[in-house]
Amino acid sequence: MSLRRKYNITHRTTYTYFEPVSVCHNVLRLAPRNTSQQVCRHVAIRISPEPDTVKEYEDFFGNKVIYFSIEKEHARLMVDVQSEVDIVGPPTASLWRPMGDGGEIRQFIFETPMTAWDEEIEQYARVSFQPGRSVLEAAGDLMRRIYTDFEFTPGFTTISTPVAEVIRERKGVCQDYAHLAIACIRSVGLPARYVSGYIETVSPAGVEKLIGADASHAWFSVYDPAMGWMDFDPTNNMIPGDQHITIGWGRDYADIAPMKGIILSSGSHGLKVSVDVKRLA
Amino acid sequence: MLSADEISGRDEDMMRLLKENGVTYNIYGDPAGLNRPWTLDIIPFLVSQEEWPVIEAGLLQRARLLDLILADIYGERQLIRHGILPVDVVYSHAGFLRPCSGIRLPGARHLVLYAADLARSKDGRIWVVNDRTQAPSGSGYALENRTAMTRVMPELFEGLQVRHLSPYFHALRNGLNDIAPHGRPNPRIVILTPGSSNETYFEHSYLSSYLGFTLVQGNDLIVKDNHVWLKTMGGLERVDVILRRMDDIYCDPLELKEDSQLGVPGLLQAVRSGNVSIANPIGSGILENPGLMPFLQPIARYFLSEDLLIPTIASWWCGQPKELDYVLAHLPSLGIKRIYRSPTGTSSVDAASLSARQLSDLRDRIKAHPSLWVGQEKVDIASSPALIKGKIESRRVLFRSFLVGTSHGYEAMAGGLCRTPSGDGNFIISNQTGGVSKDAWVLSPERVRILTVLKEAPEKPEPDYIDMLPSHAAENLFWVGRYTERVLGNARFLRTVMQFVAEGNKLITEPTRQTERSLLVALTRYSYTYPGFAGEGSEGKLGHPWAELRDVLLNGDRAGSLKFNFLQFHRAIHEVREHWSTDTWRVLRIMDEEFRQDIPLSHHGHLQMLRTLDNLITFIVAFIGLNRESISREQGWILLDVGRKIETSLLLITLLRTTLVARSGDAVEYHLQQSVLMSNESLVNYRYKYRMPITLGLVLDLMLFDPNNPRSLTYQVNRLKVYLKNLPKNPAVYWLTEYERLILEADTLLKLADKNELTLAGPADKEYRVLNDFLAKMYGLLSGIPDVISKTYFKHELAPKI
Repeated sequence: MSLRRKYNITHRTTYTYFEPVSVCHNVLRLAPRNTSQQVCRHVAIRISPEPDTVKEYEDFFGNKVIYFSIEKEHARLMVDVQSEVDIVGPPTASLWRPMGDGGEIRQFIFETPMTAWDEEIEQYARVSFQPGRSVLEAAGDLMRRIYTDFEFTPGFTTISTPVAEVIRERKGVCQDYAHLAIACIRSVGLPARYVSGYIETVSPAGVEKLIGADASHAWFSVYDPAMGWMDFDPTNNMIPGDQHITIGWGRDYADIAPMKGIILSSGSHGLKVSVDVKRLA
Repeated sequence: MLSADEISGRDEDMMRLLKENGVTYNIYGDPAGLNRPWTLDIIPFLVSQEEWPVIEAGLLQRARLLDLILADIYGERQLIRHGILPVDVVYSHAGFLRPCSGIRLPGARHLVLYAADLARSKDGRIWVVNDRTQAPSGSGYALENRTAMTRVMPELFEGLQVRHLSPYFHALRNGLNDIAPHGRPNPRIVILTPGSSNETYFEHSYLSSYLGFTLVQGNDLIVKDNHVWLKTMGGLERVDVILRRMDDIYCDPLELKEDSQLGVPGLLQAVRSGNVSIANPIGSGILENPGLMPFLQPIARYFLSEDLLIPTIASWWCGQPKELDYVLAHLPSLGIKRIYRSPTGTSSVDAASLSARQLSDLRDRIKAHPSLWVGQEKVDIASSPALIKGKIESRRVLFRSFLVGTSHGYEAMAGGLCRTPSGDGNFIISNQTGGVSKDAWVLSPERVRILTVLKEAPEKPEPDYIDMLPSHAAENLFWVGRYTERVLGNARFLRTVMQFVAEGNKLITEPTRQTERSLLVALTRYSYTYPGFAGEGSEGKLGHPWAELRDVLLNGDRAGSLKFNFLQFHRAIHEVREHWSTDTWRVLRIMDEEFRQDIPLSHHGHLQMLRTLDNLITFIVAFIGLNRESISREQGWILLDVGRKIETSLLLITLLRTTLVARSGDAVEYHLQQSVLMSNESLVNYRYKYRMPITLGLVLDLMLFDPNNPRSLTYQVNRLKVYLKNLPKNPAVYWLTEYERLILEADTLLKLADKNELTLAGPADKEYRVLNDFLAKMYGLLSGIPDVISKTYFKHELAPKI
């Protein structure tokens, strides 16, 4: 495998609390994992104030998880994740074969609360998934249709908007597109998973800037028995390749949410997230 | 032989006994059904000395098997990899919690607690109908049932040799000791309850006192440094083992159910780090899974090389094409179960009871997600005699058996909890839908020597010091104290105002009119029910005050109203409900009824409101009196009384500021001073002590400075000084704590006050300025105390300053 691209990603999350927080517990899924396409060379995490407990482990899906807690009063929490990722795989095939199927693939067929489908979603899926078509061909078609039929509308949905509403309104953001595609694929009985990651934001002059800039990105992956897992980005209508960096995956957003936290406080808070994907080579 | 009359009489005795012991079962979504009394059929379910060893062996085998399955599912997953158990039975089950994968409990076993619902079919065979593996309930009720039966029917126990329940509880304590992290000796064990509104809360508090484990709620615990700590009055205490009575996903909002208010954030991390053990381990809900049934026999062969001793009911898991076809073809004759309870709807259906339309709906649901459904042959459950409303009838019975795992193996309770359906036609037996319980007697070949269930003395008795009181209980006791006085103070002032308005109507002079207005405005300010008589739109209300007065009395949705305060009071009481006696509950019930009345706005209605206030005042005074008898001094009393004294002080200051500070002419001021004395029950006291007409100076003397008047501010401050000194304090801290500083300052201010100066005012002054400043300063000092106490003892936010 040869080095195709090299990225430096800075992901900064800042919480400001109106009432000081006495204790907080957090789980981060922000360190990119290794895949057949990418190698994560380095991850540096800076947390302010200094956490009292930090633990690193791998979750059920093999994603890297960092748990930390802060046990002194604080009014602001800043989490800075810097990662260096080499893209080494070919641009079109995202081959990752699990070792035998002890459910590692089948579990991605079942409904989850975030990917619950109804008849409308199944019908929408059937247009792409027709007899005689290969899984990858159908998934590609589904990606194109979602890209064309749906209007990318930040602020219209929240992370808890059900996909049934997304398909009715034909609006959403990358998470909604990914969840919808996953619900479609599962409704016809095939495995699909949710991928969390980043996309390179600086494009050559004269080329339109890609959506998903300066934020976390999400797309979906479908399993083809012959080819393995294959990624599709319905937000940009493209097969993720040199411009996509994977953090990890799960059955839906809930499995791979970038940051989850519980605070002991009575007040409200403000949140600021900034993402910078810089290409080094 | 007992006669029918005798049996009926004993039956009534037993019900009374259970009620007096406060045995209840809560029904969700039914406010009237909260604390529904537990019902027990006097006729026990008998298991013979020949049959029991067979049942017991079957249960022990099943517990061992389920333990191995649980360890495998969250560990190596051999059953799945070797094709013995289909992937979908596990992976499509909502109870398979991926964050729990790879976690191992110290000790020999994963499944510490297990309960099985057994049924006897008409041919006499025993079947397992349900497995309970998350937080099995019922063992405490079984014990309480047995206690009631031995008291009411002692002679039966002499004739028949009935096995004891206590070995099970002994094993339970051992089983929990066995899983202590790093083999710690004498581990600190707590029972984690979802709270007092949970259906089986009675049992949680019963087991807590029987086993000597502290009963805690999620917010009593905190995760720090990857360990779990119990917040107590004395500080943070490390917890080693948690016996949880909470479903899996509620245990940790950080990694499981995000919006769970019941759990402990970070708990799973502490478990993962091996610093705390939970029984049953989080994730064990995966075994409450009818989809496992058809595979239990092959699994038993695989793990144990044994056949199942208690066969499973014939079951067809619809995740396989042939089985799906069979279930769809025989739908009306089968019992249909979802492999896990859906968030909306029930988990099992008797397909025979469905209409054609419902059947076709069910068929569609099964076809949409076949792997979520199981069809089961219906067992024809045998009936047993039951005493229903004085008559012996025949009812079907489910028998719940309890097992506990220790390092020596599993131990089954020789007995259990039986339930019979409320009607005769029900296929599903559940306490949620009503039903009667029964004691289960396992007969013994030998004579059993001790007849009563003896309470085992805990091996390590918990000292009854205030240091050990969980912060959450402490905080609620403190609030019960505050709300007691808030209800009492508001009721008394409201009564004083209403009386004045009722009488003033008959005697309209300028001073009485003005006094009435001042009192009404003071009421709004005192009770904090703005706008009321003091804010926007007050002019009309001052002319016709009764509608507003009634609202301040009875509108439970209005913050500051008497009913609102009463509801807060009630809530706080429920949070610590094991502290109150039966008599206390009766008083509370009557108070509750007073607030349910619909009172018209007529002359008759006015009198009715006054009578209601009279009653409420009597009841709340009775409540205070009952507390003195029933609450242990060490544990709760101090906090409750600190709450009372602080509230009394703050209310008194507020009353004086809202009534006596403004200058409004001698006649009006006289009336207002009289009202202050009346609403503090101090008018008689005043007359007795001073034998003079009412003056501001003497009113202040009585209400602020008289150390012998139990309603005076000095009295409250003196009591607070004593109580606060008794709160746990680090012996190394020789300087004053923040609350000690506040109370000392308040005390000094009171002692140094110049009584004559307080009543000084120039002819043009609109208020007694010195008095107002004095009261404001006192209020500032005293109102700071609850905050400091809360931070120090309830929330543990203040870092020890050493």
